[in-house]
Amino acid sequence: MHPALEAETLYIQHFRRRDEARPLDYYLKQMDGYTALAKALKMAPDQIIDEVKKSNLRGRGGAGFPTGMKWGFIPKQSPKPKYVVCNADESEPGTFKDRDIMRYTPHLLLEGMAIAGHAIGAKVGYIYIRGEYTREAKLLDQAIDEAYAKGYLGQKILGTDFSFDITVHRGAGAYICGEETALLNSLEGKRGEPRVKPPFPAQAGAFAGPTVVNNVETLADVPFIINKGGEWFSRLGKVERSGGTRLISVSGHVKKPGVYELPAGAVTIRELVYDICGGILGDKKLKAVIPGGSSAPVLTADEIDVVYDIEPLMKIGTMMGSAALMVVSEDYCMVKLIKRITKFYAHESCGQCTPCREGCKWMEDVLHRIEDGHGREQDLALLLDIADNINGKTLCALGDAAAGPVSSFVRKFKADFEAHIRGKKCPNA
Amino acid sequence: MPQCLIDDRKVEFTPGENLIEVAKKVGVEIPFFCYHPALTVVAQCRMCAVEVGMPGKDGTVQMMGKLQTACSTPPAEGMVVKTKTEKVLKNQKSVMEFLLINHPLDCPICDKSGECDLQDNSFRHGDSYMRYTEERRTYLDLDMGPVIKKNMNRCIHCTRCIRFGTEVAGIREMVAVQRGNNTEITTIDGRPLETDYAGNYADICPTGSLTLKNFRFRKRAWFLKKTPSVCEGCSRGCNIELHQDGNVVHRTLPRTNMEINKYWLCDEGRFNSDYVNDADRVVTPSLPGASGLAAVGWEQALGAARASLEGKALSVLVGSDLTQEEASNLKTFLGKQFPKASVFHYGTKGIKTAADDAAADKILKRKSRTSNLHGLEKLGYQGFTGLPAGTEAVLLFRGGRAELPDLSQARHVVGVGVFMKQDAAAFHAVLPGPSWAEKDGTIVNFEGREQKIRRSILPVGQSKNLSEILMLWANQGGKTGVA
Repeated sequence: MHPALEAETLYIQHFRRRDEARPLDYYLKQMDGYTALAKALKMAPDQIIDEVKKSNLRGRGGAGFPTGMKWGFIPKQSPKPKYVVCNADESEPGTFKDRDIMRYTPHLLLEGMAIAGHAIGAKVGYIYIRGEYTREAKLLDQAIDEAYAKGYLGQKILGTDFSFDITVHRGAGAYICGEETALLNSLEGKRGEPRVKPPFPAQAGAFAGPTVVNNVETLADVPFIINKGGEWFSRLGKVERSGGTRLISVSGHVKKPGVYELPAGAVTIRELVYDICGGILGDKKLKAVIPGGSSAPVLTADEIDVVYDIEPLMKIGTMMGSAALMVVSEDYCMVKLIKRITKFYAHESCGQCTPCREGCKWMEDVLHRIEDGHGREQDLALLLDIADNINGKTLCALGDAAAGPVSSFVRKFKADFEAHIRGKKCPNA
Repeated sequence: MPQCLIDDRKVEFTPGENLIEVAKKVGVEIPFFCYHPALTVVAQCRMCAVEVGMPGKDGTVQMMGKLQTACSTPPAEGMVVKTKTEKVLKNQKSVMEFLLINHPLDCPICDKSGECDLQDNSFRHGDSYMRYTEERRTYLDLDMGPVIKKNMNRCIHCTRCIRFGTEVAGIREMVAVQRGNNTEITTIDGRPLETDYAGNYADICPTGSLTLKNFRFRKRAWFLKKTPSVCEGCSRGCNIELHQDGNVVHRTLPRTNMEINKYWLCDEGRFNSDYVNDADRVVTPSLPGASGLAAVGWEQALGAARASLEGKALSVLVGSDLTQEEASNLKTFLGKQFPKASVFHYGTKGIKTAADDAAADKILKRKSRTSNLHGLEKLGYQGFTGLPAGTEAVLLFRGGRAELPDLSQARHVVGVGVFMKQDAAAFHAVLPGPSWAEKDGTIVNFEGREQKIRRSILPVGQSKNLSEILMLWANQGGKTGVA
């Protein structure tokens, strides 16, 4: 067994109990449930934010922004109400970790939100949950009912003056609503389109009030930080400036796919694939890994000796994103894969800004043509140029998410594309 | 005043000013599509992206890695903006390519051609070569009511129309449906447009996606001669431009005046000029004939008009659509020729004096549907409340828009000015005058603001200017040799 698997974990032992872990009783008895909230309510809001800053907790949704700093941006005084919004849209292809938190330990999320509410001075929290998660939305509602019944949510929580309400809001299945400002628009009942920034949500978010938008896992980490201290949480991580454990969704051609919990930066991708997930299906060779959900630039089999964490991955030109590792074995067609990924982004583009609306579909069409054996030599240069024209030029990050994979696939697996173009068909077919 | 540096040119700005506008002040033009000074900034078209840098603590300027959209970047003290770098130019070229891959490029048959932002920017910033070989996106068209013709294939999704509806016209009728590459800009449930300001949708559309039905296939934009003037549709006096070719007014467009109408014009004002070249307008001196009005010469018509009023108890009705110059001339004329006549102004049913005039909606329209009600009152004309008892004949002056009062009890009516055949059917004589598009003059709006209207076309048919008609009348024809 890999030593990283023996490190302290926060979630996975409870996930293993599955439905048994969900009720409030279990949470109170086995997980010190709502003790962190009680403790936090005795702390000053600034103390809580300091503790979170010390913990080196970085956003688990994809951007990896330091959570404490994000909370610190919320103005102390505001004429408008402040809001805590949980981004439970988990729509990045390959990511399925938040689902387990909502299924098995929903109270962690609720407690984390209430603490965040106290820290920034919000009385209302929204959980914006992905439309496809119908079961999870119901389970969250049940958990919220349990918490209200015991006085962990609602008016005058635990005998203090603090009141906090949480509402579950279901999305309608758009990927773009995982982008925080599109999420806020959708939450307000508008079309799910990203907003122009600035103003950032911390200044004018939901209903134009200062708003903190955090991922499910980020908020669920908060009770641990309050209970055991920011420094303890920070030490869980094995690399600098990255605290805690990471829930990693592994999918693709590995023997043991699933959700893993490992200390941040404890393993390389090679260790993760071979030692922890049991290697490639059918003991084939590894062709590629996509390290952070489908929007992360791809890595070849030679590039996997890199520590699996935010900054090491950024250094080699890709990203950890939502910690969704997708593994591709040698006999899978890379052209087909990138075409499928690009089709997803073209389909999910909101259509507001020019490069993303026009460019993603164009890339999809060209890739489709190459895969069908109608590619031309100049198509590869064209793809790289379209991707470059989208990358960094769009209103939100969806353009980058679509462009990054295309340019990395074309650069790193050029031979596969050329084989399609010259052979006029897919060599794997 | 704070300063920033745009393409090495120092420029002062007031905080809150848009960077695109600030750049204009030093002659730097940043191209854009979705930005409009009267609408919220959405930064969607990405055409205006420029390089922006801010001085650090040590004073050296650090340029940002990513391009920033000028429309959404507030200028700041010491900010450095570069609009002509390789990166900026490449982005402009790429945005043009993206916008054109699905555009039908049907400029030869498009009404917008010649005044199209997409065409202009493509010419200036685009590439004549296109790399796109896939099938173009197409949409089915939709009927949007009587004013606007939509051609979705030409649309570049700038959403100006959506924002105009909600932010200016105060009605949410244009929306985006579907998403991504399939996004369609349409009306809610495909209903016809309801706003009275629908023509503006065509004005703000940066391409030929929304065009005026009324102007479709009528004239190429570059053949039109443009005259700045003022609308005569109500007492606001919106600034307009009349576009004519071959002595026919083809359309009316709003002219920006931030103090009166900003960028907008209502549909009533926009399509008001249709009567000028109407086939039913009486444009020759006319007298009653065997079957309705019959055209005669000026001398004969004038003689008959004079004779029919001779020695009768006369009321004179002056349309409040005449200019100040005409109305004051007329005053002198009436004082000399008809000193005993009762004189009134008329224009809109229910609006007797300037005090009755008020805003008719929240945007531009006023209740007085003639342009110079306030001016005529200034000259001392009285509002018309009904013909005085004993009136035997009526002398009627009309600029073209004043609503005709009920004259059924007057036995003799002589009309001077603009009349439709059906209105003048029972008149004893018609002496055709010019409409507001055919003359120069001054009108006074509801705020007392004097504005000049300008002649766009020559008087239609045999119409003569009012001053000329009055002179002929006063000189009994022949006496001065002018007839």
